[in-house]
Amino acid sequence: MKSFFLMCRALKNLFKKEKVERELESELRAYVEMVTDEKVTAGASAQEARRAALADLGGIEQVKQAVRDHRAGSSIDRLWGDLRYGWRQLLRNPGFTAAVVVTLALSVGVNTAIFSIVNALILKSLPYPEPDRLGTVFMRVQGSVSSDAFNDIDGEQWELLRDEVPSVTGAITGGLSSGVNLKASAGVLFTHAGRISAHYFDVLGVRPALGRNFNEDEDRPLGPKAVILSYELWRNVFHGDTNIVGKSIQLKDEAHTVVGVLPERATTPLNADIYTPLQPSRDGEGGGANFDLIVRLRDGATWQQADAEINRAWANRALRYSKQYHPGSKISFHTIPLQKGETVSLRPKALTLMLAAGLILLIACGNLAGLTIVRTTRRTAEIATRMALGASRWHVQRQLWIENLLLAIIGGAFGIGVGFLALRGLLSLLPADYLPVSGVPMDGRVLAFALIVSLLTSVLFGMLPVLTLRGIDLRSFLGSRTIAGAERLRLRQVLIAGEVALTVVLLAATGLLIRTLIHLQTLPPGFNPNGVLTAKASMDEARYRNPAEFDRLMRETRTAIEQIPGVQDVGVGLTVPYERALNNVTKIASGPQTGENILTGEVYVTPGYFETLQVPLLAGRSFNDSDQRSSHPVAVVNRSFIRKFFGGANPVGQTLDKAGTTIIGVVEDVTLPPHVNSVNDPLGTEPTVYIPASQADARFISVVHVWFQPSWIVRTSGSIEGLPAQMQRALSSIDPGLPFSGFYSMKDYQAKAIATQRVEVALLSAMAGLALLLSALGIFALIANIVVQRSREIGIRIALGATVLQVMANVAATGVRSSAAGLALGLLLCVGALRTMRSVLFGVGVYDLPSIAGVVLVLFVVTALAVVIPTLRITGTDPASTLREQ
Amino acid sequence: MSPKQTNLLQGTLDLLILNSLSTGELHGLGISRRIDQITKGTFVVKPGSLFPALHRMEEAGWLSASWGESENNRRAKYYRLTKSGRAQLAVETEQWNTIAVAIANALNATA
Repeated sequence: MKSFFLMCRALKNLFKKEKVERELESELRAYVEMVTDEKVTAGASAQEARRAALADLGGIEQVKQAVRDHRAGSSIDRLWGDLRYGWRQLLRNPGFTAAVVVTLALSVGVNTAIFSIVNALILKSLPYPEPDRLGTVFMRVQGSVSSDAFNDIDGEQWELLRDEVPSVTGAITGGLSSGVNLKASAGVLFTHAGRISAHYFDVLGVRPALGRNFNEDEDRPLGPKAVILSYELWRNVFHGDTNIVGKSIQLKDEAHTVVGVLPERATTPLNADIYTPLQPSRDGEGGGANFDLIVRLRDGATWQQADAEINRAWANRALRYSKQYHPGSKISFHTIPLQKGETVSLRPKALTLMLAAGLILLIACGNLAGLTIVRTTRRTAEIATRMALGASRWHVQRQLWIENLLLAIIGGAFGIGVGFLALRGLLSLLPADYLPVSGVPMDGRVLAFALIVSLLTSVLFGMLPVLTLRGIDLRSFLGSRTIAGAERLRLRQVLIAGEVALTVVLLAATGLLIRTLIHLQTLPPGFNPNGVLTAKASMDEARYRNPAEFDRLMRETRTAIEQIPGVQDVGVGLTVPYERALNNVTKIASGPQTGENILTGEVYVTPGYFETLQVPLLAGRSFNDSDQRSSHPVAVVNRSFIRKFFGGANPVGQTLDKAGTTIIGVVEDVTLPPHVNSVNDPLGTEPTVYIPASQADARFISVVHVWFQPSWIVRTSGSIEGLPAQMQRALSSIDPGLPFSGFYSMKDYQAKAIATQRVEVALLSAMAGLALLLSALGIFALIANIVVQRSREIGIRIALGATVLQVMANVAATGVRSSAAGLALGLLLCVGALRTMRSVLFGVGVYDLPSIAGVVLVLFVVTALAVVIPTLRITGTDPASTLREQ
Repeated sequence: MSPKQTNLLQGTLDLLILNSLSTGELHGLGISRRIDQITKGTFVVKPGSLFPALHRMEEAGWLSASWGESENNRRAKYYRLTKSGRAQLAVETEQWNTIAVAIANALNATA
């Protein structure tokens, strides 16, 4: 009851402050007047009486303050006062405040941006109902070579899983998808297609807004042709026709029945515009591991049961796989959460970035600690005075904490802003569909993270001055004006050396990545990438499953495009350099290795392909118009092929496969992402077999055109105005129903192939640059501070005959020593830290002299700038005036 | 100042104020004069101690205040004892008597 009463009082005091104050004023005035009245009655003059009354009161303001101090709620009032005082302190030192806020904003911002990505990739759950019941299957190999990774499955595995694993509902999608052409009222449109098995949307938990999901019948090979539309396609192309279910639309030049429309904003891992049944079997596409699997755990089942059932169902397959690829190894399968499965390759990258961001935070902490030490030193006089006047140590400490808290909140708020901008920049840097998530939001978790980081940083750097406060001896401080600065200077030097060490690690890591990127960008392409434009079109069309029609299109479009003025050469190929190619197994039919099954890349090309790309011919001839469907089958192989399978000997005249395809020529290797060789390198060379497009059979073209869009390649003498439009017109003149889906230069393909490396370099460069900036600021602040603090000493030295240069060198040495110590420590750290980067480095060793030399040079230049600029003030020092001032 | 001493002095002031109001309501100056009178000039309570004490005791619920006219037609804030104020006066008087006896005994014993 009493506490309630007090609380009401406290609230009244806080919120009716004016009224309370007014009443106090009146009460005290009345007191003074009554005393005056008494004195006047006793015979004093009115003026004298009033003066005496006021003296009796002992100062109206003092009494008021004494009353206020005893009021309920005065601690909140004091906190408010402290906050205002802290705010004024921050405004009074704009340099310090700006330095702290900028440091906090940058470091919190970069951490917030990176954390947003980590949050989206790792922490946020997938946007499907009961996401923890969604999974995928990894294959674990234990033996001489161990691995544990996502693995595509074949048609047999799919049927076994579907029929013999009751614990899960499974669904598969076609791993490669070229996209399809859709005939709409406005013309033929290229759309992104997803090929899915019957229960795909049931597994994800997505219910169509209209109609239904695919049934088992539609998913059978040669089953009815059905299609499910995305909401966006339905609205934009079919104008939101609510009666669309059951209607027939022309897709891939064939009639398909619409069976469903997805709800608005429904996302799937495929993110397609249009979905068609996969119709998997054990042959064709299903003959190889070409399907991506997702599973949903059924009610009442456990993941352990599912794992056991999957391993039982796939036991034979595991045995065969082990015999063929990993003799003596044990192969097993296990489920893992879908989200983890989707992001498994990006997780270590995201976490490494988080680590780098953490280093930046540490560097920022070092700077902030340094700044606060200087500030506390400068404020020692104020603090000592306040303590001498009776402020408790706690009160002074609390004041400092409150100032740090204010800085943390302001810095954190700016940090969130910087983080938002940094995240937008970062996302614009990433290639489309690089992240397997639909969005990277700055949600509550991200904001909480930013705030906590900012507050923690505030605690870390706020602790230091509070701790040094213990050492203030009032008497010695008030007695003399000297400051025991040596210890603090050493502490600051250690902090800066630490910052520089971390910066060196980041710089060295960036150096190695830059060297990797340069290596990849300067790999000999094996062709002339300049002056080449390519155009892709989906050939997954019913009419082009006929080889004669396909061959006619190839010939006629080449002729039509050759007519465009300025075009020098035209060729068509299934894939181009820098683009991953088709894997195919073939058999060597002559020579020493006769009968050996070999896995190679396989590309169909038209005459003019090698000429247009200017791929050097090393032996024999390339394709020409005499290579017809009716003539003897021929092939061209590349340098890697003959090195791997013919020991480098000239293979012209040797034969491949059952048909006795004759090798007629050898071309130079072109650079492309390895797909046959299991290496990590983003770019390399592969043994490749080229066949004439005219000799590709019906089965081959109908399968490969589901996976790949061929490229029409054009070499021009100069840049041609509106070339893409002219190429589209040329194509339409032959087939009005065939749109190009996109135009790409060789630079585009190259950039896409090394997108990961480019992103890594961009991000780490930005971070290393930030670290360098923060360290430079730290050194700069240290030296600038010494110049101010020691102005008296500097004056004396100059007065005693030292040259300005000597004094400058003397001051600068403090910063140079810190930087040098940091460099040494950083290089030592590099020995251990850089080894972890081995898997992301290509064409460069972990201990790379040019990178290290670069780091040393950069650090040298930055240190020099950071120490020289503040010492320039010394040149203007007039010893006489400096000595007089003090 | 050690806390014990403060409490003792504060307690003394509270007791004197409560006592001065036991016969009826008074304004600040009135309380001051009354204490002067009842202690025969031993304690002169300065406004710097009086007003903080009055406000504190009002917040504690021992006193209630209202505005009224003084004998010289001045508007003044009058304080009076509340029920819990009277109880407090009884408690403090009791405490003080105990202390006074104890101190007196202690002083006699050493004399």
